Amino acid sequence: MRSRSTARVAAIVAFGAGLGLAWNASSGRGFALDRNVMVKEGDEIVPVAAARARLEAGALALDARPVDFYDMGRIPGALSLPEDDFDAAFTRLETRLRASSDVLVYCAGFGCEASHIVSRKLKQRGIPAAILEEGWPAWQDAGYPVEEGPRP
Amino acid sequence: LIRPTPKLLEWALALGLGAVFVYASLDKILEPAAFGPSRELGPLPANLLAVTLPWVELLTGLLLASGFWRREAAALAALMLLMFVAAVGAALWRGIDIENCGCFSVSGKGRRAGASLLVADVALLAAAVQLARTRPTALTTPGGAA
Repeated sequence: MRSRSTARVAAIVAFGAGLGLAWNASSGRGFALDRNVMVKEGDEIVPVAAARARLEAGALALDARPVDFYDMGRIPGALSLPEDDFDAAFTRLETRLRASSDVLVYCAGFGCEASHIVSRKLKQRGIPAAILEEGWPAWQDAGYPVEEGPRP
Repeated sequence: LIRPTPKLLEWALALGLGAVFVYASLDKILEPAAFGPSRELGPLPANLLAVTLPWVELLTGLLLASGFWRREAAALAALMLLMFVAAVGAALWRGIDIENCGCFSVSGKGRRAGASLLVADVALLAAAVQLARTRPTALTTPGGAA
């Protein structure tokens, strides 16, 4: 009795998963399984060490988190371009963004999508922007310098 | 003799729980990219879960509501709810500011994974466990087949 129940549960899981994979392959809305869901075609994802090297070479860091988090701690020199206040912040920063040849966006990691959204919005406006892989927590975990407090 | 109350309760629980699972799955099936389970869910690739989990949810919900393989579907529902409770609890425990970081939201303001979600999941879990323990009875059968 018990083993039959286990087999049925396994059958539900297997059948459901099979339907999901079939749908993913055939619906035209599917995506690659081996990548993070938020990563879309054309996104440039940069690991933290490479990101640091680019920033030291003059790249501009953009913080896509809400401004309170930016004030609490950020990558040194990063500018605040919050996803939840994109339009206003973009207007403020547009000149600097267009003058910059290399832009890197980051957010809160742990499945945070803000950096992806900001990067895409920038791309729509003609500004290529790479995304820091795993965002702010990766930067902190690497022991890289951080900057704190509100910026003027 | 007909004892309708437990049976009605059983069907109400099953229909309700089934509807919740079906409802929760549809959004994710139609917008899989918007449903980004964070890596809190463990070592499984997030994309694999995003692709398969909604369909398992849908199937489970339909089985619960139809009464076919109900106990097994309820047990599976309980398993999934345990996983959700663990994921939401872990996020809360780690102090991830879920309402503000955009971790769980699809667009700027979307779903929230907070204490209220945790409470709702625990309530659903209780219903699922109850159903998994109950021997299924058809609505049309007179109460007590024996």
